[in-house]
Amino acid sequence: MASAEHPVMPAAAVIVGAGPAGLACALRLAQLLDQHAGQAGLPAKDEILLLEKGREVGAHLLSGAVMDPRGLAELLPDFAAGAPLASPVTTDAAFFLTADRSWRFPITPPPLRNHGNYVISLNQLGKWLGEKVEQAGITIFPATAGAKLLFSGDRVVGVRTDDKGKDRSGQPKGNFEPGYDLQTPNVILAEGPRGSLSKQLLDRGQLSGANPQVYSLGVKEIWDVPAGRIRPGEVAHTMGWPLPADMYGGGWVYGLSDRRISIGLVTGLEYRDPATDPFVLFQRYKTHPWIRTFLEGGEMVRYGAKTVPMGGHFALPPAAGPGWMLIGDSAGYLNSQRLKGIHLAIKSGMLAAEALFASWIGGGDAAVLAFPRQVQASWIGKELWAVRNFHQGFEHGLARGLLHGAAQMATAGRGLHARYPAIAGHRRMRKLQQLGTPPPPPFVPDGKLTFGKMEDVYHSGTRHEEDQPAHLLIQDTDICNSRCTWEYGNPCQHFCPAAVYEMVTAEDGSKQIHLNPSNCVHCKTCDIMDPYEIITWVPPEGGGGPNYEGE
Amino acid sequence: MKILVCLKQVPAKDAPVKVASDGANAGKWIRDDVGYETNEPDAYALEEALRQKEAHGGEVVALTVGPARAAQVLREALAKGADRAVHVLGDDLAALDSYAAAEAISRAIAGQGFDLIFTGLQSADFGFGQTGVVLAELLGIPHSTIIMQVEPIAGGVRVKRELEGGFFQFQELPTPAVLTIQSGINKLRYATLMGIKQAKSKPLAQVTAADLGVTPALNRQAIQRLYVPVKTKKTEMLTGAAAQVAGQLAARLKNDLRVI
Repeated sequence: MASAEHPVMPAAAVIVGAGPAGLACALRLAQLLDQHAGQAGLPAKDEILLLEKGREVGAHLLSGAVMDPRGLAELLPDFAAGAPLASPVTTDAAFFLTADRSWRFPITPPPLRNHGNYVISLNQLGKWLGEKVEQAGITIFPATAGAKLLFSGDRVVGVRTDDKGKDRSGQPKGNFEPGYDLQTPNVILAEGPRGSLSKQLLDRGQLSGANPQVYSLGVKEIWDVPAGRIRPGEVAHTMGWPLPADMYGGGWVYGLSDRRISIGLVTGLEYRDPATDPFVLFQRYKTHPWIRTFLEGGEMVRYGAKTVPMGGHFALPPAAGPGWMLIGDSAGYLNSQRLKGIHLAIKSGMLAAEALFASWIGGGDAAVLAFPRQVQASWIGKELWAVRNFHQGFEHGLARGLLHGAAQMATAGRGLHARYPAIAGHRRMRKLQQLGTPPPPPFVPDGKLTFGKMEDVYHSGTRHEEDQPAHLLIQDTDICNSRCTWEYGNPCQHFCPAAVYEMVTAEDGSKQIHLNPSNCVHCKTCDIMDPYEIITWVPPEGGGGPNYEGE
Repeated sequence: MKILVCLKQVPAKDAPVKVASDGANAGKWIRDDVGYETNEPDAYALEEALRQKEAHGGEVVALTVGPARAAQVLREALAKGADRAVHVLGDDLAALDSYAAAEAISRAIAGQGFDLIFTGLQSADFGFGQTGVVLAELLGIPHSTIIMQVEPIAGGVRVKRELEGGFFQFQELPTPAVLTIQSGINKLRYATLMGIKQAKSKPLAQVTAADLGVTPALNRQAIQRLYVPVKTKKTEMLTGAAAQVAGQLAARLKNDLRVI
């Protein structure tokens, strides 16, 4: 479609994504503009646009979540008075699990110590910040996705938003509204892990770090349980079972209140066995004799799944270029050792706002391009440098990972190598023939403690307009239906935690790929883990997706 | 034409229904941790009002009765094209019955002289389907329900009502009148980005229900018991010769299940 058919709206800045990073960036910009009110040459606050693809701010925000308040305290020093914090962390402990036992680590490893942190609902925190941003006079566009970046040469000059009201075949329906061309000299990408606009920069070769980015997938449920199972603010982290020793990841059980539990399992998206199913691993996790004592007699009330960038310092891409900056998980600001990124997301959003503001008061492009250096010089840079080799240390499994971890702790993060290398997770996947193990028996949920993907997706509040083009673009489904079937056994049907990908038997007896895009919880696993790199996740019509109310 | 559209904020259709099982709130619908949205037929009512205004000129005013969070449905209405909004505000207004809600609306719009008042056919949460009808009685004006088409005529409107079994009824009413709108009467529009931006500067008046003298104490009906029905499944085998079984089956479908 010709650009002339898209209405144009000029903007001082466009922030894509209203997560902790994007919201912090918007709020910090509003604070700076308020402090310099009346100064000539500064834009009005309502010319700063914040896009959110969820039906409202917070709808797509999912996290464990234990938050280090450092970032929030810098953004809003009196946050404790109003922010929705479920509970301060009261106790924390780390455990090692085997199939039938649990051992508590005699001391909680320092990175997992959470004194001073808070158990929160990221959805609630996002909503609260969203109200502040709105009150500050920034323009929020909910249910609006960034469809593509607009370029002029190498310079990003805007964002096109999603078309609304197209049918399955892409034809306009009666209520069609074309996307807007938001023309702006400043685009801040805060899309979360594996953003679709960020991927445009990646594809143009502008985002390569020393190591490729690697990801994990977190699968989570919230349970309402009888009183007495957990204390508010009680935090437990587990390693080991049900993850095989060569697989990266771990589990958590957090007390949101004395009646509500957050439970989840993180699985590294760098496993070898293509039949690995992070959702099923999480279901098995709940059947552990110790874990089940938290849940039995309770009721699962929410579900969600989201990827997490784990590559750390050496996977950081250049975080700014002409006309753009990357913040939060989009840039990979996550401490994989502490499994925490909210504080870094907030801080990176603030630093981006400060860089942008500096560019407005005379610093020009140079001020924006200085943003990555300012991140490195800040406590974000220091925190990530200290754990720069942590994740890569687990390349050969848990045992060696813990040894590398100890060596790194003794050497201020260096360990045995200056830079532990990494390879992209989907490249680790082995072909069925190489692996030679029989496929695992199908998992049968009991409907009380364990569930199937459809049952859980129902509890994610996921909803999409049904009559719209598929938002999962497969370059060549012939690969799915032939080569992938015999080489990898179609791992998409296993790694997707929302049953979007199905292999159905056609009339001639062959297996054909079938998509259920309406189930998609926007976790991005398929875009990351598909071994042929032929799946592209693009945003569906704005407003679609999960509704992580209270998660 | 000056049109009032009454919008209700209800729990999202996908929100799990939970009823408190113990404690002081036993038997109460737990709605504090669900997502909310505009009641579906109300969204169609708004769309119809906007289309009438676009075709015949006039003004569209959006009104809601509810707690602070309900302002969201008004912001959406303003973004889609309503000219101004009225929020009847109060923390306990989700507990109003149809009569009390209609009282709140009639008192809030006193003296404003609307030609048409649109409500949705019924709400997705309690589904009483009475607010619009009671409102018309309170205002002393005619009403018509389950509206599938609205067409202005001299001194009034001609409407198409949906009846049972695929039948329709055409009716003419003098204005002012209240019409309760059925889902599917039109195709809902999307709010445009320009609409969302402009909505911020449109007037949104607030009046507290307390100032209007409206509280749940006005309610004329009380819910005796609220519970989630237990799913049951009953299988019955019909045995015998094929012709005999077919006869039994037809009789059951006709007399017990009433599907044929």
